[in-house]
Amino acid sequence: MQQSAVIRLDGVTKTYQTGAPPALADLSLDVATGEVAAVMGPSGSGKSTLLNLIAGLDRPTAGTITVAGRRIDNLSESGLARFRARHVGIIFQFFNLLDDLTVQDNVLLPAQLAGASRRTARARAGDLLERMGIERHRDDYPARLSGGQRQRVAIARALVNSPDLLLADEPTGALDTATGLAIGRLLQELNADGQTLVLVTHDPALAERYAARTVRLLDGRLEPARVPA
Amino acid sequence: MSWPGSNWLGPVRTATGGVLRHKVQAVAIGLVVLVSTASATLGFTLLAASNAPFQHAFGAQDGAHVTVTVNAARASAADLAATRHLGGVTAAAGPFSESVVQTQFQGQPFGQFTLAGRGSPTGPVDDIVLNAGHWPHGPGQVVLDGSPGGGGPGLGSTLTVTGVPGTPALTVVGFGNSVTSTADGWVTPGEITRLQAPGAPQSAQMLYRFTHAASYGEVRADVAEVSRALPPGTVTGAASWLAAENQATGNGAIMEPFVVAFALIGLVMAVLIVGNVVSGAVVAGYQRIGVLKSIGLTPAQVVVAYLSRVGWPALVGCLAGVVAGNVLAIPVLNNSAGAYGVGSQQVPWWASVVAPAGMFALVLLAGFGPALRAGRLSAAEAIAAGRAPRAGRGYAAHRLASRLRLPRPAGLGLAAPFARPARTAVTLAAIAFGATAVIFAFGLNSSLSRAAASQTHSATIPVRVEQFGQGGPGGGPGQMPSAAQDAAVTAALRAQPGTLHEVALYGNGVRVPGIAGNVFARAFGGDAAWTGYGIIAGRWYSYVPGGVDVNTAFLDQSGLAVGDTATVNTGTAQVTVRIAGEVFEPSSQPRILGSTRTLPGIATPANLEEFDVALRPGVSAGGYVQAVNRTLGGRNPWQATSQHDGGQFYSIASGLVGLLALMVAIAAGLGVLNTVLMTTRDRVHDLGVFKALGMRPGQVLTMVVCWIAVPAVVGAAIAAPAAVALNTATVHAMAGTAHTGIPASFTQVFPPSRLALLSLAAVAIAVAGALLPASWAARARPAVALHAE
Repeated sequence: MQQSAVIRLDGVTKTYQTGAPPALADLSLDVATGEVAAVMGPSGSGKSTLLNLIAGLDRPTAGTITVAGRRIDNLSESGLARFRARHVGIIFQFFNLLDDLTVQDNVLLPAQLAGASRRTARARAGDLLERMGIERHRDDYPARLSGGQRQRVAIARALVNSPDLLLADEPTGALDTATGLAIGRLLQELNADGQTLVLVTHDPALAERYAARTVRLLDGRLEPARVPA
Repeated sequence: MSWPGSNWLGPVRTATGGVLRHKVQAVAIGLVVLVSTASATLGFTLLAASNAPFQHAFGAQDGAHVTVTVNAARASAADLAATRHLGGVTAAAGPFSESVVQTQFQGQPFGQFTLAGRGSPTGPVDDIVLNAGHWPHGPGQVVLDGSPGGGGPGLGSTLTVTGVPGTPALTVVGFGNSVTSTADGWVTPGEITRLQAPGAPQSAQMLYRFTHAASYGEVRADVAEVSRALPPGTVTGAASWLAAENQATGNGAIMEPFVVAFALIGLVMAVLIVGNVVSGAVVAGYQRIGVLKSIGLTPAQVVVAYLSRVGWPALVGCLAGVVAGNVLAIPVLNNSAGAYGVGSQQVPWWASVVAPAGMFALVLLAGFGPALRAGRLSAAEAIAAGRAPRAGRGYAAHRLASRLRLPRPAGLGLAAPFARPARTAVTLAAIAFGATAVIFAFGLNSSLSRAAASQTHSATIPVRVEQFGQGGPGGGPGQMPSAAQDAAVTAALRAQPGTLHEVALYGNGVRVPGIAGNVFARAFGGDAAWTGYGIIAGRWYSYVPGGVDVNTAFLDQSGLAVGDTATVNTGTAQVTVRIAGEVFEPSSQPRILGSTRTLPGIATPANLEEFDVALRPGVSAGGYVQAVNRTLGGRNPWQATSQHDGGQFYSIASGLVGLLALMVAIAAGLGVLNTVLMTTRDRVHDLGVFKALGMRPGQVLTMVVCWIAVPAVVGAAIAAPAAVALNTATVHAMAGTAHTGIPASFTQVFPPSRLALLSLAAVAIAVAGALLPASWAARARPAVALHAE
């Protein structure tokens, strides 16, 4: 079955400073609905830039980006914010939880920003916290949680608006091996339920274990697929 | 702590790099210091200007202790010149030929002017300060005493001199100020002859300064000395500088309390805001300090680096501020010089030194504590301290805000200030001071308006009929009107359909036991309750049989109180009156108001001062005046006028209040801007997260503006009662310097609805200050914000 592309990049270039080499150069890429794609490459290869562009956190210098059927490279800042709230969930390496909000308030925040009703948002947050196994920490502050628990909160927060696409930037990078494996399994379960996932990682084992496809970047360009010897 | 010795350049260069990299913060520091320095310069200047302005101007302009008018036909020029060498005379100028002329302006009688012929505005005595235009250098030109504007002649206007062959015209080429008002205007010496009425005696004026002229007694002795030295009958009049001083002091001192109040508000707020800005700038740089320490900067070099970082923009702000303060002071001083009745006032040199130096010292002092702490922190501690507010602060506020049924960005914004309580407290203080100044300014303006209306009676007595005999309206009788002319006025007023009320007003000196000297009594020839005198205590006299009203000076000097009786000797009768009320009649001289029945003997034709007129609604005062004057004719010395004297001080004070309040509000707004800017820097990473989670620019704007909502509301709650109390205290202090009590209505200028509305000034200041950094935060790209920590 030919699945539709949830992400489509066409000739995307991103240059931060005039005259400097581009962070991404003429990149074209498709990610299908329900797919797990890993993006790998050395530091400075353009992984984070690619993630920022797909998430609508930054704009390309050239090319077009279509995510969840909507072209986002020409959206206004407000349009991009709405797009992020409705279609994209982001998981960061260092969690990026808001320290002065409780676990529940952290998870609720994207739903509240998107204008969800209080009751619906609370119900959804409750379900997610339960699914992540951190329901009893709902009134705790992030500082009191372990790294794994924080990443679970971050995943719950990323999922609260039922996004079309989950973007994970080194989701296990700040975790010990056992916790990293647990988080990996959790992401795998989400994908099994149909969640499209783009995984940015340095870790070949993580990519190999969970991603159906690995995209390799080098100096802002796609590396040709390696042919096994 | 090891001191770096000779290695200073490195830290300074490091700091300069910091300044360039933090342009917005440098601009914020520079602007706050600029406004604060300008405000302090202006404050010091106003304090100096209100400190004995007459005495300073009298010294600076070599004011005349005595202006002696002489009959030029009785003494030779040599006789007059010889008086310069009399014992006790330290300087003399003149003789300046003089002529008293009747004038018309725009076809209407404009009063009597004493014109002096002087070739130059300067001299050994009585330097005349030109406020506008130039000194007369040919025939047909005149410089008038005072300033242009106010509905009278301006530069280029023409006055026609009547009663002189050819009715010569004089073009107003300038306005000047003689500190003791030695004349009403000045022309070239040769012009005086042309302006002399046929048969009028030739007179001239001699201006003297004496060794001893501190009291009326000494001045009288000085005049007697001059008189003795000249042929008998030469001296026809003499004016003492003490009379001018008395009048100027009464006008000027009244301004001092509010100038002091604003200067203090401005200075305290400058200290608060500058302290907040500078210490915040250093604290915001802690992370960088940690990095610098980790690569080898010594603690002392860190202190030097960060004091330099705030020092450079502060220095620029101080220098620009002192220039701005001087520029702003020019129109303010022109106005205050007018109000004080002195020629000109300058920014004192010490204000231009103390304000910037003090502000710069304050900046260094405010920065020294945090910089020293930064110097002592380990590199790791500094990096950690610069990253975020102390953990745990504000959590409860966020928990509470999340339960409120508010849009989430608003809830997040409302809770944010609790993470930085010290910074929030200083911001709150700045908002409270700014709002206090604005509310106070509105209140004071209303109080002054009420005082002006009560003193000038401009609303209740829009038209007066006065004798245009000497020195314009109110100048007193030159040639006493006949009984027929008096009656013509009453008939003319009663014939006018626009007349609502009219009453004749008589004035004369009376004696009251217990008060030394004359008491000036005014007696109304009919119902006068409508004239609108402000009642401080008691009632209008007509409601009490045998009642009179008196001013505060009367009660102070007599020791009597409202309700007491007093014996009044009017010269022709001695009557016992009851003090019905205390009226607002600012003067150091005792005054008494009553009816012509209660104060018999005052209502004589010679004492008839004026007719007061109230108009029916919708009747134009100008049209009414013209109609009455047409009926009276040009030969009747009684002429109607709609001009009101005595309001100049109030309009100047209102303008000054507005300027001072604006400056304080701007400084407060800049304080808020800086706080929001610092908080934005603190929370830039959180802002990135919010945006990544879908917070829209409008929601970011709302959240950031809500950061200062709590301080704004608390600031308003503090500012409103503070401004009411400050206004009441200031108005009472001003009244005290004017030797008067005040009606309660003068301070009751804040009905609850108005106070609530004015309290929004706190919100306006806060929002105006927050809007710029909030819009920057709203526009920031999320990817940039996420990586900007």
